Formats: sequence, structure tokens, C-alpha cells
Amino acid sequence: MKQTAQLLFKNRRPGETVFLKEYERAGGYLGLKQALREMQPKQICELVKNSGLRGRGGAGFPTGLKWSFFPADKPAPKYLVCNCDEMEPGTYKDGELLQADPHQLVEGMIISAYALQADTGYIFIRYAYREQFANLQRAIAEATEAGYLGKDILGSGFSFELHVHGSAGRYILGEETALLNGLEGVRPNPRSKPPFPAVRGLFGRPTTVNNVETLSNIQHIVTGGAARFRDLALTVDGAGTKLYGLSGHLERTECFELPVGISLREIIDEYGGGVWRGRRFKSCLPGGASTPFLTSADLDVQLDYQTLEAVGSRFGTGGVTVFDDRTCMVAATLNLIRFFARESCGWCTPCRDGLPLVAWLLEKIEHGDGTRDDLQLLKSQYSNISGNSFCALAEGAMGPVDGLLRHFEQELVDHIEKGRCPFS
Amino acid sequence: MPTLTIDNQQVTVPDGNTVFEAAEQLGIVVPHFCYHHALGAVGACRMCAVTVVEGSMPGMKMSCMTPAEEGMVVETGTAQAEGFREHVGEWLMTNHPHDCPVCDEGGECQLQEMTIASGHGLRNYRGNKRTYQNQDLGPYVAQEMNRCIQCYRCVRTYQDYCGGRDFGAMGSRQRVFFGRFRDGMLESDFSGNIVDVCPTGVLTDKTFRFKTRLWDLEQAPSICPHCSLGCATVPGGRYRELQRVVSGVNLQTNGHFICDRGRFGSGYVNHPARPRHARAGGSRVSVTDAVDSLLRRISETVSQHGPEAVAMVGSGRASLEANLLLRQWAAELNCPPPVFELHPRRARAIRQTVGTLSDHLASLRQVRKSDLVVVFGADPLAEAPMLALALRQVVRAGGRVVVLDPRPVELPCEFEHHPLTQEKILCLLAGNCEKELFNRLLQDLMAARRPVLVGGGDLLGGVGLQLLGHLTESCDNDDRYCLVHPLLPQANSFGAGLLEGPEQTDLLERLESGRVRALICLESDPCSEHPEAGRMQLAISRLDYLAVFDYLPTHATKRADLLLPTTTPVEGDGVFINNEGRMQAFARVLQPGVPLAVTGQGNHPPREFVPATPGCHPRPAWQLLQQVLGDERTLHGLRQAAAEHESRLEGLSDLQPGGEGLRVMPSSQAPVEESTVEIWSQDGDLRLLPVQVRYGSDHASCLSDKLTPRMTGPQLIVHPQEAEKRQLKAGETVLLKTAQGTFRFPLACDERVVRGRVIVPCLPGTPLEILVPGGLSLPCEIEGEAP
Amino acid sequence: MAELLTAEQIDQFRAHIAHIEHPRELIIDLLRAVQDKHGWVPDEGVELVAGLLGLTPLEVEEIATFYYKIYRRPVGRYPIHICDSICCWSRGGEALAEHLQKSLDIAPGETSADGLFTLLPTCCLGVCGRAPAMMIGRESYGPLNNEDVDRVLAELRQEAQA
Repeated sequence: MKQTAQLLFKNRRPGETVFLKEYERAGGYLGLKQALREMQPKQICELVKNSGLRGRGGAGFPTGLKWSFFPADKPAPKYLVCNCDEMEPGTYKDGELLQADPHQLVEGMIISAYALQADTGYIFIRYAYREQFANLQRAIAEATEAGYLGKDILGSGFSFELHVHGSAGRYILGEETALLNGLEGVRPNPRSKPPFPAVRGLFGRPTTVNNVETLSNIQHIVTGGAARFRDLALTVDGAGTKLYGLSGHLERTECFELPVGISLREIIDEYGGGVWRGRRFKSCLPGGASTPFLTSADLDVQLDYQTLEAVGSRFGTGGVTVFDDRTCMVAATLNLIRFFARESCGWCTPCRDGLPLVAWLLEKIEHGDGTRDDLQLLKSQYSNISGNSFCALAEGAMGPVDGLLRHFEQELVDHIEKGRCPFS
Repeated sequence: MPTLTIDNQQVTVPDGNTVFEAAEQLGIVVPHFCYHHALGAVGACRMCAVTVVEGSMPGMKMSCMTPAEEGMVVETGTAQAEGFREHVGEWLMTNHPHDCPVCDEGGECQLQEMTIASGHGLRNYRGNKRTYQNQDLGPYVAQEMNRCIQCYRCVRTYQDYCGGRDFGAMGSRQRVFFGRFRDGMLESDFSGNIVDVCPTGVLTDKTFRFKTRLWDLEQAPSICPHCSLGCATVPGGRYRELQRVVSGVNLQTNGHFICDRGRFGSGYVNHPARPRHARAGGSRVSVTDAVDSLLRRISETVSQHGPEAVAMVGSGRASLEANLLLRQWAAELNCPPPVFELHPRRARAIRQTVGTLSDHLASLRQVRKSDLVVVFGADPLAEAPMLALALRQVVRAGGRVVVLDPRPVELPCEFEHHPLTQEKILCLLAGNCEKELFNRLLQDLMAARRPVLVGGGDLLGGVGLQLLGHLTESCDNDDRYCLVHPLLPQANSFGAGLLEGPEQTDLLERLESGRVRALICLESDPCSEHPEAGRMQLAISRLDYLAVFDYLPTHATKRADLLLPTTTPVEGDGVFINNEGRMQAFARVLQPGVPLAVTGQGNHPPREFVPATPGCHPRPAWQLLQQVLGDERTLHGLRQAAAEHESRLEGLSDLQPGGEGLRVMPSSQAPVEESTVEIWSQDGDLRLLPVQVRYGSDHASCLSDKLTPRMTGPQLIVHPQEAEKRQLKAGETVLLKTAQGTFRFPLACDERVVRGRVIVPCLPGTPLEILVPGGLSLPCEIEGEAP
Repeated sequence: MAELLTAEQIDQFRAHIAHIEHPRELIIDLLRAVQDKHGWVPDEGVELVAGLLGLTPLEVEEIATFYYKIYRRPVGRYPIHICDSICCWSRGGEALAEHLQKSLDIAPGETSADGLFTLLPTCCLGVCGRAPAMMIGRESYGPLNNEDVDRVLAELRQEAQA
């Protein structure tokens, strides 16, 4: 177990939250000062582009590229929105980060807003994160008091105000355009793209939406430089560290900051303490509920965007959920599909009506009532829902079904042939 | 203008069009639900999938969300696209009940059509279906949510297009519910449109429920008779009963929607008091005998008293053909030409519209596309409801609406309201007062790209519309006209106005003096249309002979010495010319007759057998007049002759019901000068302004029971300060004293009303009916009832 | 009807609404405030929020019914959100939910006879490292076994009595 440089979890101590004094003592807001005093907004954008940072919310879109779409020259208001609607099962890293060190996000957002020349920021935070909400409110108040937020920040002429918006519990709000609708107080169905938020976002104004972890990395890139950030990763293409939230059948289910590119085996064995109760590894979701299952054949894969895509899955959010060899993958998939069906906003047909049909099929098979025809039906549902929904929710829901059909078809057949779940 | 290939056919479409629209242009129907021409594409249903074979983003795409590109190659029938659409059909049908045999949508169910088009036929899902508890949405729309496929069309229509705020989407996922916060009547004046847009039987016309299977319904394209806009409608009936009206499609006028007044206001067609029998001298006679008797009496009058003793009144309610024949009859008798509008001030407004304004008229479509509309003296929801909806589209597209009106005008969109008296508006238009506002508007209008002025004929009168004409001209520039959209009193006011001869304002005097001995009224009622209704009633009672052609029960039909019942627009063919000068033909939907539901008294089939249809005597007025004139031309021949005779009616004989209609040629006449100088400044006193209201002011809708729930009772509306000044309170019954008499009505206060005015609704059938809109405000006083 | 928001809260919201360009963004804040004060959002709460924001009740209802954590029906004093998502499922969430149902003698969605607890299955609570977990009110608990659940319920019952 090699020591990983801790950027995001540097100040993290169990059960504690770091606020301004301590944050500053540990080097907090130096990045902001450096950015405001020494750098032009465009330089920061360039730096972020060169750092190779990719969105940490699940989609992995290159942050610098996303920022390059933002029309910095358009008049105010322009918005920077932080997505902290972390609701994908198996994902809890942003919650951990804000539990430990909320000022990191605040500082990251101020620098990012400066880089984008956005004048107003919102942090959109899920209902369940009550403490994180309070932490952010306090951090914002402290930062405002200290002159890091508000008008003419540190005499730079740049002004930025930051608000926290508490949500009321729906996964779809994590979709950036649904989130914007949610912020506006209208029905949070996703919007059609184009126009993209950079063109018409919050209240019709240019907007960039980034994840908590993404934004929290910015000051570290500013202070440490792009090259150093890239070097943190263990893969050639990768960059930075990643917060991995471990869950499922592991001895230790905690959140760690580890390099991008760490192998699945190392995470499970070294950090997760191995599969629980001495059992064997069967499968895992490598990056949240929407990422296709991996199998023991994939244990040596490095956790990064390209490497995981190469084995048919996705890096996602970095939430690794492990299943032991007594797990019924049909039941696991059914659980996941039920989640997605319940969280559908109800806008488009494949998601609203297709996912419940898939759930019904899986339930039928899991209960031993499935037929060979049902297996065919499941396959055709999978191939027709995938890629054809309005937003990425149903697409994500098909991730585990994809994994199930590719790696565990025999398990489906066993259910059908035995007329019962072989694991019950 | 990209050119693309769809299913091996090339098509060139305007920039910004989608693949779906391109396919539509080729006549290829891609199955769809959420797409609607008026609502656009939202990509929700996913039914319209096609395969883009060549293009910047090849693969299966939703055609409604994919822009057409130059050189694009698209196939709608690939195995992938067809397979996917079949799945969409299956998903949509997962919870749809198998109640088609008892569903009111049966016969016009788009879900049925599209499901078949999608190829889905066998439901794999065997689980429980989702069920809902329905709401009571009021008397107009029935809800059956279990049938819902969540296409969101209703809410997009109700909220987005129509601006309604009491019906929407609630819940989420597979349990989205479309309804209200609580049970209750839908508030929007356009609520019925959600019935038309619902692709299946979730939202149906409650007033039409269980009446007729759609395939038994007699339907034909028609023109709404309730205001001057001339919206396209498709009335439907069976068993001699007009049972429903749905919106027709005319992109130049109403687009795809109609207002609730037009939809639910046709009770006059089946009204029990409707004149059904020809009557001469108090007894029922055959139509032929009636015509003979009419000819005899008129010729007696002419020979005894000269042709001057015969007067004729046409109307904006009667068809163009009937009015033409009436004019022809007057010419043959050598008596004065007919008066086509009894209200002299209204007549002058029509005259201005038909004349000077005719080369600047805006269609309703042009209003919708405008970026700045200034409304002078009009309350769109009351006088022309679909105009209000057009104004909403202006605002939705980023344009602006400014209203100058004394009333508490409401619109389903944001707008700027300047409460000014009628006189102040005229004064402003003449450049004599409110100069700051006028100059600001002038500047904005000159800067606008597609400016439109709306002028309420009732408030502005001829002078006002003339001034409005001057204003449009000063806002014209080399690139565009500033257009004008005047509101007229009736569906065919423009058509009647076209036929009007030299101005006649002395009909009342001629009647009173006894110079006129015989009066012939064509679908008009002098006693309720003339501004001095009381005097007119008296004058008419002194006539030797009153002959009336009408389909409505009016004062005139009651007093008539000779009555010839005519058909309503849904029972005959004809042409109306709307407020922008658009000639539009309507077709017969039903044969006239007393509804079976009435004659059968609830029993079916009728137990009594008679050779003639009960109540079948009404005939189109033009047919009756042809009989009078011994004219045997066909309707087509009649129109052809009219078009030849009157150059402005060019194209009249080519009109097809259901078409877009044709604009009459602009007038080449010299500008009409106003003969009457109106008094513009009448400040200081309290004055009475009789106005039309949304429901019950027009002669047709006030006979519609269906509209009763929407009607507001008679009341007086003043600014709260006027009430306070007189120590009166909102809600209390007050006395309104006018030259026409004293009335007792409840008082309402509204801050949006201009000071110094009492707004009173015109409601035929109530004592208020003698206060006819269209004039200048009248002196009045209000006071509390004596204790 | 008990007070839905204090006069002071209403004044604060009014001031805030007057101060911002898009008051509608406060819709969730207002609904949550009503819920915090009243336990759930009755029809009158929706109407109150609508009135403050210049919206129709329907426009507020469209939002209120979308979010799972806005209760539009009465809930017990302690709404229990028991996570049924994958991480909790993998570590005994189902059994825990059954235990809760048994000890409260209610089905999911129901409120216990004493009016204290409403059992609401919920999606992932964001405490996957502490699975199986539940959230009562806005307090998260986990990892839990049956004994932990019994202890928490007992504590809350005691709190309710005090």
C-alpha cells in the first residue's frame, strides 16, 4: 500500500469538520490569492484544460473543455453551479468531502467563477446532506466575512456571490439541466440540448455546472500546476486523484482519496480489507449504480476512464460496490432497476414506461416464473432502451442490465430452468 | 434551405426545420405523439424514431429533434427504427386500459392509430396496471387518467400555449398525473383545447359524452360565428342536434385552437325557442305561402307609399350571399339600399376597416408573429378571445404587448396596461393628449420589426380607426408595413360592410316619422342592436309591416308580421368575411330540424311516424331571398356573379370550406372621411361604458346553456376610489341612473378600471341589454339604495 | 389548522422574495419550511407558499408532488426513510426493513398506531459506507442491525413521551 498524496482529504479527520481558521492554516485560500493576484481568467482555464481534469460527477467530461464553451465575454448574470445532488447508489464521496472540509469547495468555486467570469454561484445539495448543508452555509459566511466572497474579492475587482440551495430528494436533479430547472423552481425534467447550459442555462443565462469534487480540485491545480496534477494518476491518460467510496461486501467500506488508475484489486484488497466474511469476489459496480458490472476477470483493471471503458464499463463516480460470490446478480440488477424506475422523472417513454417493464421482467425471472422468451424480451428491452432516452437516466439504468446480460446470462438461464432463484 | 433525402425522395425545407417536418412535407407520416404543429417538438414520446443513414450524426434519431441537414439521407422504415417504434408502442400501452369499446375517443383515437402504425400488437406485460383516481375538471372536460400515455400535450397546450395556470403535471415517473390542484372547473378561457390535443380518451368533451360514436357524427368545416375573427371550426352533430364543436385548422387565423366561447357556445342551434316555422299574420304558413305573402305586402307598400317606404336591414350575422341578395332586392325595388349595421358608430368603424385600413390589415397569424402589439381600446378576451391567445404567442416569443383601455383587461400573458378612458385614447391617437405615452409608443412602433396595432371598433369607432390608420402609416418604413388588426362586432361585419352604400344614419328617424312603413330584417334585431334600443322598439311597434328572416329568437322575430326561419351557419353553406378581410366558406353540417332528443322525449327511436322532419322549415337566408327574387342560380353561380360584379371579391367562387380562405382586395377608394365629429373630452363626470363580456354578450352565446357556468351576472365595475367617493362598498347593490333608465345591480371594484367610468356588461336577455356597446360613454350616476 | 409558518418566518420570506429577481427559486425552501414547522405540507401549506410567491396552488403542487422528501400527506412525528438501494440491500437492508415493519406493525408507507413513525422506503441516502442505513427526520443512522433499530426506536419513543 503506497501512500497517496492527499489533496482533497488532506484536512480530513474522522468526525471533524475543518473550518476557516484551520483551513487557512493548512494552506487554504492560497490558491485563490494566487489566482486572483497572479493569473488571468483565461490562464486558469488553460491550466485546467492542461491538467487533464475530467468531471468527477460521473460523466467524466473534460472540465477544461466544458469551460471553453462558456461565453466569458457575455454580460452578467452568469452562473457557476455546483452539483452536489449526489444520489447515485454507491456514491457518497462528495458528502464525505463536505463533511470534512467545506471550504475546499468554496475556494474551488471562487477560483472557477473567476476563471469563467461568473458572478453568481449556487451549490445544489441533496436533502439528506443536512450537515454538509450547514457546513457550507458556515463556510460561505466565514469566507464572506474574510473577504473571499462578495464584492471586489481581495481587491481584485472580481465579485462573486454564492448560495446554497437545498433540494428535496430526487436523483434526476443530478442531471445538470434538470438541476437547473430545480433551481429555478419549475418541474425538474431535463431540458433538451442544445441549447447547452453554457448558452442558455440557469434563468436563461450562461451557466456551467460542475461536480463538488471537480471544483474542489481547482485550487490544487492552481497551486500545484497542471503537470503535477497529471502525474498524480497512475495511468498515462489519467490525471489527479479520485475519491473512491467503497461499499457492498467488503470488510472496510470507507471513502479514500487514491490515484486515478489504481487497480480494482488493490482497492479491494488493500483499502477495502478484502471481500467480507472471507468470501470470494464475484462482481462489482466500479463507479456507481449506472456502471456495468465487472467480474473477477477484471480485477487487475486500472480505475480510469479509458481503461474501464475498454472492459465494457465506466469510471463513473468512483463509488465501488462489491458483490461476493453468494450474490444473485439477477436480484442485484432488479434492485438497481427498481431504483432507476422509481427515480425516473416521467418525461420520456423508454424511461418512464420501459424501466418498469424491465423491472417486471427481472422480477418474474428472479421469482422463478421466467421463460426463455422473457430472456429474449429482456435483451430486446435492453437494446431498445439503451441510447434512446431523452436524458442519461435510462441509459444509466441499462448499465447493470448490460453487465448482467454480458457476464451473467447463465445466471438468468439458471433461474429460468430451475424455476427459482438458485441463491435463495 | 437544406435539401435532404427521405425514403429515396428528395425534399427541400426551410432552415431550422426538423427531419420530422421534412418527412411531413413529403407526405410521410412518422408515428408520433408529443409533436404537435402548434406546440412543437419536445422529444418526450420517442415514437418518431428514424434512421439517419448519412448526416453529421448518423444512426437512429428522434426525427422531431433532429435538424434537417443538407445532403442528409434518412430512412423511416429500417428494421432498427421500426423495431424501436414498436417498443415505444408497447411501453406506451403498458398501462393503457382495454376499454376502447366504451371510450369516447373511439373513432378519432390517435393512440390507436399510432399504436397500429408502430407495429405493436401483443402486450408482453402481465402485471397490474397503474390506476388513478380521476378529478372533476368542471362541466367541459371529462378526465379518465387511466388512459393517459403522458405525452404532455395537454399541459403544453394549457400552460404554455394558452397561459392557463390551474392545470398541470403532478407527480413523476410512471405516475404523472395531469389535473388541477383540486376538483373544479378549468379556469382558462381556452380549456377545451386540451380535449382536441389529447391523443387518446383521457380528456374528452364532457358536454359531448355518450352522445354519438364518432363514426356516426356528421361533421363539416365551418367558421365560428361568435366574433369577427373567423376561426376555423369543425362542428359535429347527429340526430339533428349540434353536439359538439372542435377546432379546425387554419394557420392564417386561429391556427389549431379555438376559445371556449366558440366551442361551447352553440346552444342557439338546438335552442327550443328558435323560430322553426314560417309565420304570416300570426299563423303558421308554408315557406312558399310566406314568400308569396311577403312579395305581395312589399309590392303593396311600394305602390301605395313609394319605394322609400320600404327599408331593409342586413347584418354581420348573415352570410355574404344573403346580404348580397338583399342588396339586389333593394335595388330591384328601387328602395334605399339596406343598412348593414344598425349601430351608426359601429358602422363607421366597419367602413374604415373595409376602406382605408384594408391594405394594412393583419391576419391573426401576423399578430402571433409580431414583436410589438399595441392594443387601443379593446378587451381581447371579451371581444375576440383568440386574439388574446395570439398576444400570448407574441410575448412567448419575446415580443411585447401594450394595452390602452379603460377596462380591467386581462390577458393570458404579461402586458403593459394603461387605463385610459375611451375619450383619452381617441385624444391620444389624435395627438392631443398623453403625448409622452404616444411618443414613446410611436418610437417603439417605428423600431419594431413586425408591429401590429389592434383597434377595438366598439371603443374607437370610425374616427379612432381612421386615426389608427394614420398611425400605421407613420410607422411604415421601406422594409415593412405597420399592420392593423381591427375588431368588428360580428362574424361577417366586414362582408356586410363591403356591401354598404352611402352612409345612412337616419333609419330611426325615418321609422319614427312614418316615412318607412315596411321593414325587412335579415338576421338582425334592431331592438337590441341599435344604440337607442328603447326608441327603436317604439318605432318598430308603429310599423305597418315587419318582415324578419332569422334563426335566433329575437325581439324582431317576436313582433314580426312575417317570419321566415333561416338556418344557422352549421345548417347551411355560405361565406363570412372576417375582420382582416378574409373570405371563408363554411359548409352545412346538419339538416335543420328539432333534435331527436327533443321530439323523442327521451325515447328512441321515435314512436310517431310523420313524413316530414320536425322543425325542418328553416332554410339558408340566401335560398329564401333567391325564392323572393325568383333567382335560380346555384350557390357557386351566385358567388361567381358576385365576384364578377364586385372586383374586391375576386376568387370568391373558388373558396373551399376548410381552406385558408382568401383576402378581399384592398380598397382603392379615397379615404373615407368621418362625417361625425365625436366629442373627445368628457372628463369630470361619471360616465357609463357598456361593453361586451367574455360570455353571454353575443346573441349566439347568450342562448347557450353550456356557457352558464362561465357567465358572470350583471354588475357594475368602478375604480375603488369612485366607490369610496360615494361611500359605496364592493358587493352592495347600487342604483345606476342613466338617461335610459335606472338599474339595480351589485357593485364591483377593480383598481385596473380607469377612474370616472362605470363599466357595465351588455347582456341580451337581461334589463341591461338596452345598453348596447359601441357608443361613446354616457352620463350616469351611481348611488346606494335608499334605506 | 396549526400554524404553518410563524409570522416572523413569513415576514422573512416576504423580505427575501421582494429582494430577489426570481422568487420562484424559493419554492422548495418554503415547502421545506412549512414541513419543518408542521411535519408535512397540507393543502393549506401549498396555498400559503403559492400566495407568497405569486403562483397558483397548482404551480406549487407540480413541484411539491415531484419531490419525495416533501410530504403531501400526514406522516408520523418521525418519518423513517429506510434505504432500499444496492449498498444497503447488499448488507441486509431488506431484512432490516422487515424488522422495522414488524416492530412498528406497519407496511411501507404507513404510520404506526401511536402516530410516531411512518415507514418510507427511500433511495440511497449517501451513507453507503455505513450500510445498511436509515434516516429518521434528517438524521442518518448506520450501519444498523435489528438491535440498533430497536434501540433507536425506543429512544425516540422516550423522547416523544418527554
